[in-house]
Amino acid sequence: MPLRPGEDDLDDEIRGHLAVNIKERIDRGEDPASARRAALQEFGYMPDVRDEMRRVWYSRWYDHAEALARDIRFAARSLLRAKALSVTVVVTLALGVGANAAVFSVVRSVLLRPLVNREADRLIYIRQDAQGLGIQNLTFSVPEITDFKSRATTVSAFGDFSTVQFTLNGFGREPRLVRAGVVNGSFFEVMGLRPVLGRLLGPADDGEKAAGAAVLTHRFWKDVLNRDPSVIGQTIRLGSTPATVIGVLEPSVPYPTETEIIANMVTSPHHLGATMNTDRKHRMTDLFGRLIPGATVDAARAELSSLHTSMLREHPDAYSPQARIGLQVRTLQEQIASPARTILLVLMAAAAVVFIIACSNVANLILARSVRRETELAVRAALGASRGALRRTLLAESLVLCAAGAGLGLFLAGPLVSVAASYAARFSVRALESTVDAGVLWLGAGLAVLAAVLLAYIPRLPSSDRTGGLGLATGGVRITPGTNRRLRIFATTQVACTFVLLAASAMLVTTLTALQTANTGYDLRHVLAIDLPDIVGPGLRDPSRESFLQETVRRIGELPGVEGVAIGGSVPWRDRSTTRLQFVAEGYQPANGEESPTGRLRYVSPRYFAVLGVPLLAGRGFTDEDRTSKELVAIVNRTVAQRLFPNGDALNRRLTPTNLGTNLGSPPPSRIVGVVADVDEDNVVQEPSMIVYYPIRGGGSRLFVRAAGDPRLLVPSVTRTIRAISADQAVERPATLEDIRTEVLAPERLNAFVFSALGGIALLISIVGVAGVLAFSVSARTREFGIRLAVGSTPRALRTGVVWDGVRIATIGIAAGAAGGYALVRVAQSFVGTVQLPGALPATAAAIVLFVAAIVASLMPATRASRVDVLQALRSE
Amino acid sequence: MNKTQLLQGTLDLLILRILELGPNHGWGVSNRLQQMSKDGLKTSQGSLYPALHRLEMRGEVRSEMAASENNRRARVYTITRAGLKRLNKETETWQAFALSVRRILGAGR
Repeated sequence: MPLRPGEDDLDDEIRGHLAVNIKERIDRGEDPASARRAALQEFGYMPDVRDEMRRVWYSRWYDHAEALARDIRFAARSLLRAKALSVTVVVTLALGVGANAAVFSVVRSVLLRPLVNREADRLIYIRQDAQGLGIQNLTFSVPEITDFKSRATTVSAFGDFSTVQFTLNGFGREPRLVRAGVVNGSFFEVMGLRPVLGRLLGPADDGEKAAGAAVLTHRFWKDVLNRDPSVIGQTIRLGSTPATVIGVLEPSVPYPTETEIIANMVTSPHHLGATMNTDRKHRMTDLFGRLIPGATVDAARAELSSLHTSMLREHPDAYSPQARIGLQVRTLQEQIASPARTILLVLMAAAAVVFIIACSNVANLILARSVRRETELAVRAALGASRGALRRTLLAESLVLCAAGAGLGLFLAGPLVSVAASYAARFSVRALESTVDAGVLWLGAGLAVLAAVLLAYIPRLPSSDRTGGLGLATGGVRITPGTNRRLRIFATTQVACTFVLLAASAMLVTTLTALQTANTGYDLRHVLAIDLPDIVGPGLRDPSRESFLQETVRRIGELPGVEGVAIGGSVPWRDRSTTRLQFVAEGYQPANGEESPTGRLRYVSPRYFAVLGVPLLAGRGFTDEDRTSKELVAIVNRTVAQRLFPNGDALNRRLTPTNLGTNLGSPPPSRIVGVVADVDEDNVVQEPSMIVYYPIRGGGSRLFVRAAGDPRLLVPSVTRTIRAISADQAVERPATLEDIRTEVLAPERLNAFVFSALGGIALLISIVGVAGVLAFSVSARTREFGIRLAVGSTPRALRTGVVWDGVRIATIGIAAGAAGGYALVRVAQSFVGTVQLPGALPATAAAIVLFVAAIVASLMPATRASRVDVLQALRSE
Repeated sequence: MNKTQLLQGTLDLLILRILELGPNHGWGVSNRLQQMSKDGLKTSQGSLYPALHRLEMRGEVRSEMAASENNRRARVYTITRAGLKRLNKETETWQAFALSVRRILGAGR
């Protein structure tokens, strides 16, 4: 194995040398065998020569490596003697490295890793938003998409995807509700995805005449169907339409939603209807596009935006100026990553703060240790060790510590990654792809080396010109003002960083508590909500549906323990409906330039308000007669009554909808028969908004059951009853309203949990840090305390003094943390928009916790200071 | 005559001295070493090469591949200015050192 190019040359050289020697000997008359032996002998032992050569070539490296190896052995031995310190340092570093490695691997898989889609940089997502209504994604209607398709030149093909829910019958299983996508024939081509089995939908599957065809997503095929290849070709029923399973999609990021089945248009009767295809305001389709070769996203954005602007001009009726409808174009990759970006960056910052705290704590411990070692270092310096050699000793020690810390940290990273991934999955599905791999290992190693080098340069070396200044003779610890200041700076840094984390977590906890205790207006504990998905697609009426629902309500109402049953169109908080009603109210004149009143629209059955515990403030609730009577009636909430009829005369006024126009003409006015208390179906914390309730006529897919006791106990009997009426009916997601609120608040709870955990770790590390600094300063001041006790100080005074020291560190740290945190928020705001600052209460709470922690941390060293034995202390030096 | 173990560091000096007489290859240097010391030094021929390479790395000798007498390719070493400078300096030091040692050892004998 040549060590460097010269080695081959060397072999030639040696061979030549030997050959000449042998030849000369033979010429002198020796026989070849003995000539050869003699020549080799004269040359010397060959491997030694080679070894020697390597030493010549690589002398510098040899020397350094050897010295470092020696230092590392020495460091390992001396660290084994300081077990408590080593363990603290290694565990602290492991937490820092582990947290960072975990967060990094999630960040990478969500924000950085490319999509599997072919040429993903040419795959764009087109989004229509309505700033005026606060709607981020309005999606598109078929006429809008048709306009884009016929006019755009930078986009070679468009793929449409509308999210629907089907009741799936097939695969020999119980009917169940599946989330599905209905797509056009170019969708998969635009997305650049391949099948793993069978084929995907193509242009031949478009149109009303095509046969129903469905593609299974990989996750559904894998998790639910256990990778059964025989599903290809099977016929399933989606709602009432039969469809053939034609293929399985490769694993890919589900967007816009996690779906189980992707089917062609013909499977959804609604997609073939007139409303879907002619109403410009009937928006329910996500739009993807593939750029023509050479076109940039910017070019496509410019073109599509100008097309959109002319669309707005051509159809003023479909785009209210107040809604401020706009168009956004970006790559799908960006679109997928963007909701998670802010939270991940915040998480990364928090992990970095933990790393800083961990490092400064470790720096503290190492610094304190090196001060105790100054005598040793001074001796070595006096014996001729160069500054470089001393530095190397320290470097070796911190390398050993940091390598151990990083090793343990990466070991911790595995479980931490899965925690962080399931946390981040709330914001982006891609988080679930996170794993610990080489990149993360490099990060861990990099952090460890960074920490090691930083740590090695913290301690002061005995300087050659002031050798006399070090305590060579005394063998005791002499703390210099410089060291003391540095120790305090580190402790203060820790307190400052901890304050930032604690304030953030206190803020999140406060928010969560506010959300959890807010009055919702519903009776949360006694109401069970169940999804009864309509087998027929949305928008179509099934004549048997009404009798089914009436029978369901009647039979469930007879069950023991049931106090009331009602039907509605949506479950609070879970089904966020965007249906809005604009209306003219009799007796209410909008001010000049003001739009007609707009409110949310809800369809509910009789007894709905009683079942959900929403009090009736005036008039009456809906009755069974309202569903069939000629006269249309409505119920409004308190906000409508107060805003539009401040004199309290809302009852019997008439409301006329203005935006529900269908091809049958605008609906007739309806009479207000009741006023109910305010509730907010969209937000857990109520915001005053206008709601108009209409009696549900024949449809409805959400069942509400009011129970006398625990509603969850009713689930089996309710399910049995429904199945007895209709065996095909899916019964989904039974939950109490309280469960639903808990579920909706899960991201907030996770945020609060993650930050509290990070804050807790930081607090622990800081307590160790502050206690360590004070303990060290106390042990260095033993003599001073001895003298003070001797001249009449009380132990109590000494104790108070040390505690004040701790409080001082905490005060400066909190002040620095508050200032730094404020600055950080300002910087963050320039990058990610709005960042919430903690209010006074959480900040104060965090400060109090830190003060208490600082006092607790200083108690032990303080007690030690007050127990100094005077004689011992004075004799010790 | 007993062969003398070479003192640490003197091999470099001897090689430089031999190369001062003219460029030479490894075998030649080792031959001259034997001749000039009249076979009085005990050193393996092999230890010559690390020394030559060390000198080359220090820039006191340079080398190039050349055809030798018997049509073999051999590395030929030439002394450089830096090498000459070191040779002169260390020869002086060595003479002074040897003189002192001889004076002490020879005194009163």
